[in-house]
Amino acid sequence: MLHSARAEPNLVPILDMVFQLITFFMLVVNFKGAETDQSLELPVLGSARPVDTKGEENLLVLNIDSLGRLKVYGAIKDVKNYIASEARNEADKLAIRKEGFKRGDDLPATVVIRADKAIPFKLLNEIVRVCQENGYRKFSLKAVSQREER
Amino acid sequence: MRRRLRRHRLDAEVQLNMAAMLDMAFQLLAFFILTFRPSPFEGQLLLRLPPPVPLARPMMPLPDDQVPTNPNALFQKSLDIWLPADAAGGLSGARVGLSDAFSGPANSVNLAKLDAVLRQVFALQGDEVDQVMLHVAPGLLYEDLMKIIDVCMRQKLPDGRPVRTINFTELTQPSDGN
Repeated sequence: MLHSARAEPNLVPILDMVFQLITFFMLVVNFKGAETDQSLELPVLGSARPVDTKGEENLLVLNIDSLGRLKVYGAIKDVKNYIASEARNEADKLAIRKEGFKRGDDLPATVVIRADKAIPFKLLNEIVRVCQENGYRKFSLKAVSQREER
Repeated sequence: MRRRLRRHRLDAEVQLNMAAMLDMAFQLLAFFILTFRPSPFEGQLLLRLPPPVPLARPMMPLPDDQVPTNPNALFQKSLDIWLPADAAGGLSGARVGLSDAFSGPANSVNLAKLDAVLRQVFALQGDEVDQVMLHVAPGLLYEDLMKIIDVCMRQKLPDGRPVRTINFTELTQPSDGN
């Protein structure tokens, strides 16, 4: 008689809990993480604060390793060609969307520089100069506010 | 007869198979747990850099015969800070205008000295400073440069506003024989 008894646990509470966990992970998932190279060791800067652009500005994220190589989604790219093509695309978009924008005008996009702390200034400055020659004026230097254990 | 049939349908208990839904939910949960990678907390330093202008500066601050008689001349527009580097790329000192802030690596003691010098300068001449111009040795590592920028960002103008206009340029190596 006991063997034939069928246990039917109430799965609703566990389902509730699982859905809550799924909701949490969906909310904290960071799709932008793919474009940031986490292998870079950023410099430590106590006064670095996150700045919220509220999605109004376009960002050009440059991951630069200690040898001055530009990495985009893990692949090494030629600095001049990549920045020039990004600037052209940005200018094309603005020419369509923004009235009065001419080619050669300053680009409103912010260049986000995520450079390894061991890069010499000369290599970094060359990349900044290439950006300036292509019309970028606003720069954001990324840093961690405190040293993190890796 | 019809009434009885309808009542029978309404009384029938609908039982959903939760196991299938739970399977799917667990698969989704597993996916999110495995792909979850919290991004480190990153701050940023916003700079507005004008178009490149050719500059030719000596490796070290002005030689004695070129030092202006008026010591305030260097502070009319920008506060110049010279940052030479040693062979390993570390900071070997800092000079603010005409005076040495410190010589040696960018450790906490030396950075505190630089902080004190800059505080004094901004307290006395902050109104005249449009920007802080860092003259950086080509081989200086980015980490040490950022430490100096950090100190500069902590300064405040006489009206209480923080210093936000910081620019940097590359120091040219002195030619041989000069």
